[in-house]
Amino acid sequence: MRLLFILGEIGSGLRRNLSMVISVVLVTFVSLTFVGAAGMLQMQINQMKGYWYDKVQVAVFLCNDGSTAVGCASGPATKEQQANLQAMLESPAVKQYINDFQFESQAEAYTHFKEQFSNSPIVDSVSEDQLPASFRINMKNPEKYQIISETFSSQPGVETVSDQRQVLERIFSWMNGASVAAMGVAVVMIFCAVLLITTTIRLSAFSRRRETGIMRLVGASKTVIQLPFILEGVIAAVVGAVLASVTLWLMAHFWLNGDLSTQFLNTPFISSTQVLVIAPVLIALGAGLAGISSLLTLRRYLKV
Amino acid sequence: MIRFENVTKVYEQNARPALDSVSLEINRGEFTFLVGASGSGKSTFLRLILKEDKASSGSVYVAGQNVANISSWRVPKLRRGIGVVFQDFRLLPQKNVFANVAFAMQVIGKSRSIIRETVPEVLKTVGLEGKERRMPHELSGGEQQRVAIARAVVNRPGILLADEPTGNLDPITSMGIMGVLDKINQNGTTVVMATHDDDIVNEMRRRVVELKNGKVIRDEAKALYTSMIPVVGESRRLRDASGEELNRAQGAQL
Repeated sequence: MRLLFILGEIGSGLRRNLSMVISVVLVTFVSLTFVGAAGMLQMQINQMKGYWYDKVQVAVFLCNDGSTAVGCASGPATKEQQANLQAMLESPAVKQYINDFQFESQAEAYTHFKEQFSNSPIVDSVSEDQLPASFRINMKNPEKYQIISETFSSQPGVETVSDQRQVLERIFSWMNGASVAAMGVAVVMIFCAVLLITTTIRLSAFSRRRETGIMRLVGASKTVIQLPFILEGVIAAVVGAVLASVTLWLMAHFWLNGDLSTQFLNTPFISSTQVLVIAPVLIALGAGLAGISSLLTLRRYLKV
Repeated sequence: MIRFENVTKVYEQNARPALDSVSLEINRGEFTFLVGASGSGKSTFLRLILKEDKASSGSVYVAGQNVANISSWRVPKLRRGIGVVFQDFRLLPQKNVFANVAFAMQVIGKSRSIIRETVPEVLKTVGLEGKERRMPHELSGGEQQRVAIARAVVNRPGILLADEPTGNLDPITSMGIMGVLDKINQNGTTVVMATHDDDIVNEMRRRVVELKNGKVIRDEAKALYTSMIPVVGESRRLRDASGEELNRAQGAQL
């Protein structure tokens, strides 16, 4: 009986304040979408880190015909220089820092290049001997890059030593920035959502002050009086959170795993099921925020 | 049933207290009129019984319990034992008669079958048989007040507080309402009624407690609205004032 009664009260409250309730739904929807987007970006960063950090290596590029570096004054790297470098990599002083290394010849470099830029006309303008051969070094600890760089960059026949991680770091820091920005927008929007929920509950309590006054007089408990209002806010926020989750899922499903993944074949994107991990967090966040702000509002505006 | 011990209520510091060390006992089953001018402390008296306000000093006992010791989450329990009726009825306009009365039972979790059984009974007691489906705006003032009374007593409270229940009603309708309150009182409910209506008080001849500036100035059994013991200075001034009032009214008419 009491449950039915409370449900009825919630229904009538939602109906009476429909426009305010819709605005609460929309604001929580937008704010939680931003929260979720920030979360997705972080997940994407982790995913890419995990994927790339295994593969990314320190590359020691050898001199070729067009090299202008100081170490390349004597022209393209000779067989002896290459053997010398290999010996250095196998020496215990260096070996302690690396897992393994591979030699990528100019021919192999060209094959990889063609694969990577298969869609681009640039392939046609590059020939095999323009690309440098390289040693690809897989580090035990990528942070120790500096040691490898210092050891090899001054060796004859070496053009440059590059840490490919740095390129990725730039991408990651960009993505991090985007996720911080999304979080910033989310914080502002959540603030709006809280204010709006507060106002809605206040209006709702005001429009039903007759009922609550009578409930108080006949000795209804605090729960029976306040619960409908709190649930009203919570329901609106949860609807917003569900909308946000659905939006994020659609984004992951149709955009990340649809469009983007066909454009960037080498990039590992988070899957739409991974996004579902965010959904409960958003729903809990929405419900929690709405619950707390309703409760605090009622404390001030609904005497029991 | 209700006991006030040296109760003082101050709403604002420095202002005159709304109640000034009032000591009073109202017994179980008694019918008591609370009379006095506006601002004399009648409403404060009722609010203290309901624990809507806290006494500044002294203690209020309701059904043997000091209300100051009732924790906030048990206040609803206190209020279930007290029915309240107001001058402005306070019905829910979008609910019909039955639903208005049933509301008081729903919110404290009474089962549907008990509600269906009890509400018609109570409506019969207040003389509203067959009007269950009417909406409040379809009822006369007297009928609306009967609905309000039905709602106040449907949970069988031991105490019924009525704050000027006949204030908006004509004399004949008021007498009808008094009949209902009397009937409820006969059934054992303690009734405390704040009123300005001298005809009713004079007709009923019940206990009268008169408040003035927050003090009990008269407490008589089977009494009249105005004291039978003249308080010379006071009553002359009152009479003068009302006489002047009368002259002015006549002047305006002429």
